[in-house]
Amino acid sequence: MAKAFKPQVVTANDLIEGDSVFLARSGWVRDIAEARVARTAEEADLLLEAGVVAEAENTVVGPYLVEVGLETGAPVPLLRRERIRAEGGPTFAYAPEGIARAA
Amino acid sequence: MRIIDATGPIDDLWPRIGAGEPLPEAGRALVERDRLGEALASGLELGLHLPPDTEPADIEPHFGRLAMISVGFPSFADGRGFSIGRSLRQRGFLGRLRASGPVIADQFAYLLECGFDEVAIPEEVARRQPPESWLSQSAAITFGYQRGIAGRGSILDQRRARHD
Amino acid sequence: MYRYDEFDAAFVAERTQQFRTQVKRRLAGELTEAEFKPLRLMNGVYLQLHAYMLRIAIPYGTLRPDQMRMLAHIAERWDRGYGHFTTRQNIQFNWPKLKDVPDILDALASVEMHAIQTSGNCIRNTTSDPYAGVAPEEIEDPRITAELIRQWSSLHPEFTFLGRKFKIAVTGSEHDRAAIKIHDIGIQIVRGPDGAPGYRVLVGGGLGRSPFIAKELRGFLPKADLLPYLEAALRVYNLHGRRDNKYKARIKILVHELGIEEYARQVEAEFARMDRAAVAAPAEEVARIAAYFALPELPARDTEADAAETRRMAAMEPEFAAWLEQNTAPHRVPGYRAVTVSLKPIGGAPGDATAEQMRVMADVAEHHSAGELRITHEQNVVLPHVAEGALFKVWRALRAEGLDTANKGLVTDIIACPGLDYCALATARSIPVAQDIANRFAEPRRQREIGPLSIKISGCINACGHHHVGHIGILGIDKAGVESYQITLGGDATETASLGDRTGPGFGYDEVPGVIERVVDTYIALREPGETFLAAYRRLGMAPFKEALYADH
Ligand code: SF4
Repeated sequence: MAKAFKPQVVTANDLIEGDSVFLARSGWVRDIAEARVARTAEEADLLLEAGVVAEAENTVVGPYLVEVGLETGAPVPLLRRERIRAEGGPTFAYAPEGIARAA
Repeated sequence: MRIIDATGPIDDLWPRIGAGEPLPEAGRALVERDRLGEALASGLELGLHLPPDTEPADIEPHFGRLAMISVGFPSFADGRGFSIGRSLRQRGFLGRLRASGPVIADQFAYLLECGFDEVAIPEEVARRQPPESWLSQSAAITFGYQRGIAGRGSILDQRRARHD
Repeated sequence: MYRYDEFDAAFVAERTQQFRTQVKRRLAGELTEAEFKPLRLMNGVYLQLHAYMLRIAIPYGTLRPDQMRMLAHIAERWDRGYGHFTTRQNIQFNWPKLKDVPDILDALASVEMHAIQTSGNCIRNTTSDPYAGVAPEEIEDPRITAELIRQWSSLHPEFTFLGRKFKIAVTGSEHDRAAIKIHDIGIQIVRGPDGAPGYRVLVGGGLGRSPFIAKELRGFLPKADLLPYLEAALRVYNLHGRRDNKYKARIKILVHELGIEEYARQVEAEFARMDRAAVAAPAEEVARIAAYFALPELPARDTEADAAETRRMAAMEPEFAAWLEQNTAPHRVPGYRAVTVSLKPIGGAPGDATAEQMRVMADVAEHHSAGELRITHEQNVVLPHVAEGALFKVWRALRAEGLDTANKGLVTDIIACPGLDYCALATARSIPVAQDIANRFAEPRRQREIGPLSIKISGCINACGHHHVGHIGILGIDKAGVESYQITLGGDATETASLGDRTGPGFGYDEVPGVIERVVDTYIALREPGETFLAAYRRLGMAPFKEALYADH
């Protein structure tokens, strides 16, 4: 049986800055909450294509689709890796505040 | 396919003989490895194309008959050809040495230093990377640390000269 | 310490300028991402989970105070105020922007540093013993050899597009603190038949998906033959190493598939054929480099008064006494010690240091360690030349910045790779696992009671955290979307190197600290007086530990 389609967003890294970015209506954004969500396989293909075009235009690097849940209203990635990535930083208090706290 | 050497773009003087194509009657021909026997028996001015899994020692006996050797680079990231080139030179090959494949301008200096004279690159690479890039990249680093490298001054030798 | 001459300076400046051009050409579309990626990697620039990452070379782990201060400056100006010291004696910054990297490289060049070949399929930063030039039993300072290799391997035209990365480590002591047996090539300085120093050369070690302990390639290599021999070894690898599968492209697989005898035969044949004199470094050049690594002039001290003073302070300050005992090591000059600054505070991220901490370490090194710092394979910092009489002062200065954790070599001195919190390749987190374990064993007395114990954690099979050679190794994998941790016991990265054995099925994230505690308790219950964890495991084998871990599962 074909896997049931799950809503998806397109992510990549900004070429110049390196930050994780998500494709929104207004272009690439840092906050996944603003990302455009594909609700069908066809929509997902179109979104990814837009990502590939942006890569060819040297705006972003490595676009790919991420499955998300929409229970909270905003898209939340299903995989831990993608959740950490969407959070924009490590899961623990990091430096300098984090290091100072541990020390 | 575009040919570039240390002076810039040049004409391709070496018609490559495709599989199954007959060898020309006279003049130059660049042949594949599997046609070497046939080609050696001809009176042609010979170039030989080598795949990247070639053992340089196997080619050494034919150096006298080869005016040119082309080493295949299946991708710019496959660097076996650098060792093949340098090894052919260390073994005494004095003819023209070509790197064939999608190598990039940023590798030109390394190729020249390993003993290559020219590159034969696909149109797609040539379109993005103009001849100026090949020339400027080949001159980006003046001196290297290694010794026994073609065409480039060695820092180690420069230091010694300074102290003499 | 090595200083750049005008040639080194020009080389690094040209390389930085070249990278600036490459970034421009990338942004203009002249270079595709596929073409740019190996170029940026060879300049230390990765693209990680959240951002670019810049890895800066600290050749053989040796740093001057002005260089450490520059790292602090870079952390504040272009990053987020901290850096991460790695198991290969480098430092990495986790948040630089690609557009800033050429400026960062310029800043580094101004203090004789660079990021050349800290990544990519080329010869990487050559690592060495953090106690180089200090250890009493050393035959010769391995940094002379490492610097020679650094220069020879920099932008080597033949070996810059290898099948895979290539790592070399050098030790000058019998006791191996550079983990040479898990390197592509490991070099040990030994004495030859006539007593003159030369090299024992090992090849084919490495961790990752298929871990191997290195095998001996040459029992004794005269020093003058080093570079031609390395060229021969690299050429055989470059020509014959596998290119069809990224996971089989390391030299360890070639050596394994050919057999060490056949690989050695090919290397020796190539070495015999080549014009060795044309490749070898001139003797004057070796002597020039060696002069930089002479032991710095350490003022003569009243060693008895120093020792008495230190004892007096230790008696008054039990925490100082513990640190003295745990974090300082013998020096070849009487009255001096090598101090380890632990970057493993309980609950911290192993190997991380803030800009402020870097500055404090730089200041202390300037005033009390002959202007020298070392980065260790264990992700700590060493102040190699501290007079015994200055130890208390040094301890107090470090303490003010939280750099006084007295846990060198103990259960909380954990090596951990960045894992899923930073790394794009990770399958599981590793830093938070290290933090949980350290918190579990936080009590200093308990740590000392357990004794020497190295825990090493990797967030995926690539094994950057060297879990295979941890006394206790932890490998995080992904099991159907859930982090799972496999435990290995009995690994060792020193001259008695061995790969750890898997205990059995993996454990969940939350279970790990408890599992480690059960392993440790089992050891404590069964050890003989004075027996270390590793020795006990080698005597007892897996059975009692397995029993403790899985009996009630
Ligand atoms: S071991 Fe894996 S997760 Fe850890 S740093 Fe290396 S590649 Fe990343």
